[in-house]
Amino acid sequence: MEIFEQLMGGFATAATPINLMWAFLGTALGTAIGVLPGLGPAVTVAMLLPITAQVEPTASLIFFVGIYLGAMYGGSTTSILLNTPGETGTMVTALEGFKMAKSGRAGAALATSAIGSFVAGSIAIVLLTLFAPAVADWAVQLGPPEYFALMLLAFVTVSTVLGKSALRGLTALFLGLALGLVGMDQITGQVRYTGGVLEFMDGIEVVLVAVGLFAVAEAIYNAMYEGRTVSTMNRLTRVRMNRSEWKRSWPAWLRGAGMGFPFGTIPAGGTEIPTFLSYATERKLVAPQHRAEFGSTGAIEGVAGPEAANNAAATGTLVPLLALGIPTSVTTAVLLTALQNYGLNPGPQLFQTSEALVWALIASLYIGNVMLLLLNLPLIRLWVKLLLVPKPMLYAGIMVFATVGVYGMRQSAFDLFLMFAVGMLGVLMRRFDFPIAPVIVGLILGPLAEAQLRNALSIGEGNWSVFIERPLSLGLLLIVLLVLITPRLLAWRRRA
Amino acid sequence: MNPMDRSPPSSPPTQPAHSSHSVVLQVLLSLGVLGVAALLAYGATQIPSEAGYAGIGPNFLPWVVAAALLVCGGLLLHQALTGGFQDLDEASGAPRADWHAWAWVSAGVLANASLIEHIGFVLSCALCFTLAVRGLRIAEGKPGGGWMGLLRDAAIGLLLAAPVYWLFAQLLAVNLPSLTATGWI
Repeated sequence: MEIFEQLMGGFATAATPINLMWAFLGTALGTAIGVLPGLGPAVTVAMLLPITAQVEPTASLIFFVGIYLGAMYGGSTTSILLNTPGETGTMVTALEGFKMAKSGRAGAALATSAIGSFVAGSIAIVLLTLFAPAVADWAVQLGPPEYFALMLLAFVTVSTVLGKSALRGLTALFLGLALGLVGMDQITGQVRYTGGVLEFMDGIEVVLVAVGLFAVAEAIYNAMYEGRTVSTMNRLTRVRMNRSEWKRSWPAWLRGAGMGFPFGTIPAGGTEIPTFLSYATERKLVAPQHRAEFGSTGAIEGVAGPEAANNAAATGTLVPLLALGIPTSVTTAVLLTALQNYGLNPGPQLFQTSEALVWALIASLYIGNVMLLLLNLPLIRLWVKLLLVPKPMLYAGIMVFATVGVYGMRQSAFDLFLMFAVGMLGVLMRRFDFPIAPVIVGLILGPLAEAQLRNALSIGEGNWSVFIERPLSLGLLLIVLLVLITPRLLAWRRRA
Repeated sequence: MNPMDRSPPSSPPTQPAHSSHSVVLQVLLSLGVLGVAALLAYGATQIPSEAGYAGIGPNFLPWVVAAALLVCGGLLLHQALTGGFQDLDEASGAPRADWHAWAWVSAGVLANASLIEHIGFVLSCALCFTLAVRGLRIAEGKPGGGWMGLLRDAAIGLLLAAPVYWLFAQLLAVNLPSLTATGWI
């Protein structure tokens, strides 16, 4: 089959010593980042974007995706041992995993988490291999109106599906869109919102906003509010599972993978939904004799399922990114920026123009997944030692890396001042429960969506009906409306 | 019994209210959003609307975003004035900010921004590290160390900033400012 041949070609590229080294560096760094509080894969990739000026595309993408996968693995470690929410995808792991750790079974929780992530990751990568080219082939029929509708769907889901308040989510989205407006308009060359400041001519750098809102805001927020917060770490036991734990885990892994992958591929705003769904499912399906463990001593199904779902969803988000060029999470949005730095535009064309790169990337996912299993099981003790770094050193150190990322992009000290201002904005947003992901997605996707909108209207010769006349775009717009209206409708009916 | 002996029942010591629930701050925040909307609208009036084939010009999205932020800001203001933001998840951490700690961390970041192009990455980031560490330690309540502590932090900052600089500037060819022309500091 053609796909198999292409995949083998990808392995040939991904298995070269240089690319293997990059994969190893990425997965190791990603695991460390996932273990440490305060940094996530998105902001780490953002901070390292300056290397795209020198490192060739295949290597750097293998590196970045390695970080992404590694952070998923590492994040579970912290959730189980420290009960820190960290990544939203590992929030659910913290529910049962932490309970298991408290009752002395941290090792089993970590084992089921690592092995489950590997199993689910492998399944998801195979599905990615099969589906991504198919989606890319089908996507050739999509035109600007459909792309605009898809991006609108991504906007709406990332703002309203996560978090409690759609209003605050949408405000964050529009702030992100506003930030994306600064600079030169792509189509007419018209300069917008620079206020005469020369540094704004090229727009506001994505890395700056991502690093400011996540890393800098995290450090400042910690200084302002979390000084007295004490986190107690659970004791680490032997990382293995007994026979009964294996028996209970593997069905949960499969169910989790099955739930996670589809959710990752659609613009449903991330990994929260499938992990919570998996948790609820495992709770319902657990054998009666183990039911009492949920919420008290910790049930292993409650870790196995959500962890598998999380990993499968994270891999799933690569499908719309590679095949359609639509990022559905902050990390994939930053990966999109990395691709743009190389002048590559993800989407159906990517599979044709840069076939070698895409398949090398997919092949390195397999390699990275195996590396992570090998890295994580034996080396967990090492990663856990990282948690002994005192918080002040950790966050101050993050500031140094933040400087590299932001200054390294444009060599502008003005950007560093702006980074501070954005950091303060991030503190404000965190304090008042405004989600941050919509800002990043709005910033990155906004200019693209605007271009698609204007192209769509050009096709329709200025008529807005072009969106309704084409069946696919009409369908997508209806889904957008549904996503906006349904929660409000349900809440209104509940109150009535 | 002497009536003077009777003291009013003592109320339990109350925790200071979480600052995110403060109506004043929420109103200020909503006004901030409205302010941004106003700025966007003002900027949009300066953008010409040459539409070409598309029927919409470079000022279309600015107007849409300005209008949307106006609506959002208005709704936020309404919520703030009628009982506070709805469904507010209380942010983690202390109810009130530690401004002393904030001052040190901000000083670090701003000093870095001001000095990096003058004294180079290594020294500037070492300074940033030193100030930020002090601020974060103050937040934990243990500033500690006096002059020796400050020197020790500066040494750690240098030990961190220098290898990072060498890694990124020499190995990965990222353009970072240096003090001397040697490329090592």
